[in-house]
Amino acid sequence: MIQHRIECVDIGSEYCPCHLAETNDCLICSHLQGKEFCDCNWRGVCVYQEYVWNGNKSKNLRSETVCKIEEKIEYKSNLTILKIKTSRTLSRQLKEPGAYVFLRDVKLPHYYDVPMSVMDADDMNGYIYIAYQTIGAKTKMLKKLNNEVLVRGPFWNGLIGIKYIKSTRNKNCLILARGIAQAPTLAVIRKLDRNGCNLKVILDKGKIGEIFLSKYLKDLEIDYTEIDLMKNEGKLLINNILAKETYELVYIGGSDLLQKHILSLLEKNNCNSNLVITNNEKFCCGEGICGSCTTFTENGELIKTCKSQMDVKKTVERRNMLG
Amino acid sequence: MARIIVIGGGWSGCAAAVTAKKAGGDVILIEKTDMLLGLGNVGGIMRNNGRYTAAEENICLGGQELFNITDKAARHVNVNFPGHKHATLYDVTKVEPMVRRFLEEIGIKILLQKRVIDVEMDNKSIKSVVLSDDTTISGDIFIETTGSTGPMGNCLKYGNGCSMCILRCPSFGPRISISKRAGVEDILGQRGDESYGAFSGSCKLNKESLSEEIREKLNKEGVVILPIPKEDINFDKLNLKVCQQYALKDFAENIILLDTGHAKLMTPYYPLEKLRKIKGLENARYEDPYSGGKGNSIRYLSIAPRNNAMKVIGIDNLLCAGEKSGLFVGHTEAIVTGSLAGHNSVRLSLGMPLLELPRNLAIGDLIAYANEQIKTKEGLKKRYTFAGSEYFERMKEKDLYTIDKKEIKRRVQRLDLLNIYEEKLL
Repeated sequence: MIQHRIECVDIGSEYCPCHLAETNDCLICSHLQGKEFCDCNWRGVCVYQEYVWNGNKSKNLRSETVCKIEEKIEYKSNLTILKIKTSRTLSRQLKEPGAYVFLRDVKLPHYYDVPMSVMDADDMNGYIYIAYQTIGAKTKMLKKLNNEVLVRGPFWNGLIGIKYIKSTRNKNCLILARGIAQAPTLAVIRKLDRNGCNLKVILDKGKIGEIFLSKYLKDLEIDYTEIDLMKNEGKLLINNILAKETYELVYIGGSDLLQKHILSLLEKNNCNSNLVITNNEKFCCGEGICGSCTTFTENGELIKTCKSQMDVKKTVERRNMLG
Repeated sequence: MARIIVIGGGWSGCAAAVTAKKAGGDVILIEKTDMLLGLGNVGGIMRNNGRYTAAEENICLGGQELFNITDKAARHVNVNFPGHKHATLYDVTKVEPMVRRFLEEIGIKILLQKRVIDVEMDNKSIKSVVLSDDTTISGDIFIETTGSTGPMGNCLKYGNGCSMCILRCPSFGPRISISKRAGVEDILGQRGDESYGAFSGSCKLNKESLSEEIREKLNKEGVVILPIPKEDINFDKLNLKVCQQYALKDFAENIILLDTGHAKLMTPYYPLEKLRKIKGLENARYEDPYSGGKGNSIRYLSIAPRNNAMKVIGIDNLLCAGEKSGLFVGHTEAIVTGSLAGHNSVRLSLGMPLLELPRNLAIGDLIAYANEQIKTKEGLKKRYTFAGSEYFERMKEKDLYTIDKKEIKRRVQRLDLLNIYEEKLL
């Protein structure tokens, strides 16, 4: 019978097996869930083998590094873009769509760690670019940063459906993003563009009031349409686009509400594209330990969303169920 | 037309596909790697001891094609080595393309590098199988021939770790028990000490790495026997093996090499530095598994409960064959159980009574005997093969063993089963 198939975004990486293996809570390996026999679906070097070779211990956690803030651009309406100097290794690790880091003031305790999508990474010179919106206690403290910031990473599960971004080549793709969710969208656009895809990009200022991707898209020579996706005009535009063209992949960057709204439009238009969405869960540790990102699927299965890749529709269905 | 989905392209899957096709099924064969035959790509021993009888019985039943191919691909025929007579050694480097071409010629649709990871059920029937790429394939009847070897975690927990065998789990993904996915618990084989699973029983040396003298003798005679230095003789190792037909004193005291294209070394694994102490093997290196100096694959951790017509108990439209269907060892055992499962798949789709081979044929007796034994604690520690060990003794006692082709044909004819696999039911 169909079992819900989740994939761990960290599997096979230098951070696997993680400490979840030590407590028999590995997301993938049946042996490291306390079972007797193999029952996984991982197509790479065995997690259990790596664990035993590592002396029955987990591998290293992500390190924290104090990094210099090279540039800070503040926009109206609470948008800030940081240019942060990192090692070239870290910026290379963060170049993938879905990459994120935790940031905080060096002087503050760890519970001020705030997860931030990496908008752009320059691995030649070792820089990452973060765009954030000041909303609550953590981001307000970020706003006070001057020259230095504590960076913990790399993490990779900022998007759900990452495999489709990696595998889609030379196809039509529809990219929709609103507000601050433009930030994780740039890496998606870069990757799909490199993969030879034909991109239809629709951006919405949202509450942030800026299309801050415009200069990046200009450099990439990618056109975009600006519209309010939550209003009727947005709905009409999407209906019109879907009537004219079929898309192999649809990306939705934005709130749960936006994702739900767009998914219902896709459904009404009988659109069966592969879906990629921003992962909107609340992360605190990013290591699957703290429990803040833990949710349950409809059949009661526990999902640690900071590490798990799962079916996009199931993710949104669950959120709708709760919402 | 009945759509028959065979999951697993080893010898038993290929055999099931052939007889299902011959009985009129529309057959799709799904294999996770890029080659058919699975462990058949590294085995090669046919027709030794009672396997001769079983091969001829299957031929008389109408399942001759795959045996014709292994006979045609033979490097050596009528080879004797300790405890074994009249073996045929097929060339493992030639046989897979021959089988693949034949299957394609008769219209079997082969899906390579497609791995089944789940099933969609309708009550106690399988509606479709789910592949690792999230696509589904629906069918009327399903035959599971996924074997019982690996994957890596099992080879580590119950063996010496992944030895990089022909199944190549890290490249193509792990074997998944389809019957378990469909809701039926697996049966597990045990070793003498009641630990689970068993090591595959042989490895392959690169023939070019052996001395010219050994190479020549292998090419000419098919067998080379080299004594092991006294200090390195290890009788305990015989208990590890799945192939109890080769767990003989001779195999502990000697290195027995058979020519199957590579030099087949009749031991689960053998440390390279010890191996290189033996004259002629000074430069030896492993061909399969690549880490044959350290370990071998672990098998028998995933057997489905079945009846003697090869239908899985508890699932309405699932049959099984090969190692998935019992503690069987060998290509012949895989082919004969696969042939029966394939034929019965079309019968099952038509609601016909399933064929059960009578126990006065070696094949029928092995299938029934292994099924009786697997229900006992002691039986779980044994392996069942026409080639030796307990079952070959039984074959001789019951007068089932013969190499007289006419006699075998007479037996099959007397049971009115001659060429039954040739009958087109649809």
